Amino acid sequence: MIAKSELLASIKKLPTFSTTVIRLSSVLNDPDASVGEFEAIILPDVALTANLLRIANSAFFALPRRIGSVREAITLLGINRVYELGAMAAVEAVVPARLPGYGIDAAAYWCHSVAVGVLSERLTRDKKLATPALTFTAGLMHDIGKLVISEYLAKVQAALQDEMIGRNKSLIESEREVLGVDHGEIGADIARAWNLPEEVALVAGAHHDPDGVNGGKGDIMVDLVHIADCLAHSLGFGTDIGELHRTLRVAAMERLELKAADLERVASRCIAEIEGLAQFNRAPAQGGPA
Amino acid sequence: MNLVKVDIADLKITADPDAVLVTYALGSCIAVIVYDPVRKAGGMIHYMLPLSETSPEKAKERPAMFADTGIPLLFHGMYEIGCKKPDLVVKVAGGGALYDDGGRFAIGQRNYTILRKMFWKVGVMIAAEDVGGAKSRTARLFLPGGRCTISSLGEEIEL
Repeated sequence: MIAKSELLASIKKLPTFSTTVIRLSSVLNDPDASVGEFEAIILPDVALTANLLRIANSAFFALPRRIGSVREAITLLGINRVYELGAMAAVEAVVPARLPGYGIDAAAYWCHSVAVGVLSERLTRDKKLATPALTFTAGLMHDIGKLVISEYLAKVQAALQDEMIGRNKSLIESEREVLGVDHGEIGADIARAWNLPEEVALVAGAHHDPDGVNGGKGDIMVDLVHIADCLAHSLGFGTDIGELHRTLRVAAMERLELKAADLERVASRCIAEIEGLAQFNRAPAQGGPA
Repeated sequence: MNLVKVDIADLKITADPDAVLVTYALGSCIAVIVYDPVRKAGGMIHYMLPLSETSPEKAKERPAMFADTGIPLLFHGMYEIGCKKPDLVVKVAGGGALYDDGGRFAIGQRNYTILRKMFWKVGVMIAAEDVGGAKSRTARLFLPGGRCTISSLGEEIEL
């Protein structure tokens, strides 16, 4: 078991999260903020600007033409979307080369994150239900807790395997058993420490337990990310040591009126976009611990 | 050794005597691994979903995404390089499942069922298989001998 205070101290040891994105987060919630203000925060950050534009030009964002400036990005995509691009570039920068506790490298972590971001946003495309703003970011960041938990989990691999393989427990339950805390809970703490939008923290914290949100009524974004996470793992996007030891909550599918056939259709349509975005990490995508 | 990587929704065929065909992270997806001991050639598909009717336009772009469009291509590819159907040794891996509290998410099961139906129709026998469970698998086929291994959570078995 690890003391909560120790984990919170570990968050501070993570590479510094982009101060530009932290500032953007506060402007995002300010109804009086202007496009000019938003742009003015991004522009001095040359590295973030470059990465943001690189990602914006990938197939997923479906721009009508190649863009070369933040202003163009804001005009074509809107503030929320440009925030999401910035957040994506910022997360990419803090993922370590390896996550030993999960048996994966940065490429596999990134591949999974991107897959969940894309799938969360696309799941209800054919339905009437509108996808809430920032769903992509919440999907992309759902596993940030793993960045902190990984080093602790690396020390208790035998006990973890015992829970998962020996007792057929899910990865998240096994983490709780051996560490007293799981990557969802600590992910929410990280999101709050980085001043990310509250939705991102909520999703990170609840993505394995969507039925417990809002007194049992659920939350659209949590449900979307929960199902996308299960789908991504099932399809092998960024498989980690938990393999398929995860529980799909059927109530989440019912709340969104999604059927298995819907998931298959979405998966078939998203694979090229996922592969395209996954390339933004240094190493090749796919691959797992086996 | 030449590593020939089979991506998701992809298939590869080779008669290179130094080749090792490999595919990673088979969750609910399935790998069909074909080896011809006479021609000393091998092939592998990593398909993702059972039926191309799910998305006919994607099936045109990437036929190996679906069992019904991909598996025939794998076999025809083997025939094109001179393999004969009775010589082919066919092995299957993958088709895993998450814990599912309502049985709604059975992509792996559906992937496997369609495979059995297709093979039954055309008289293909499965020589060995490692399917189902909450596993993610890596499949390898070593040429020229045709040794086939499946690994999961660091444990490797010969198939």
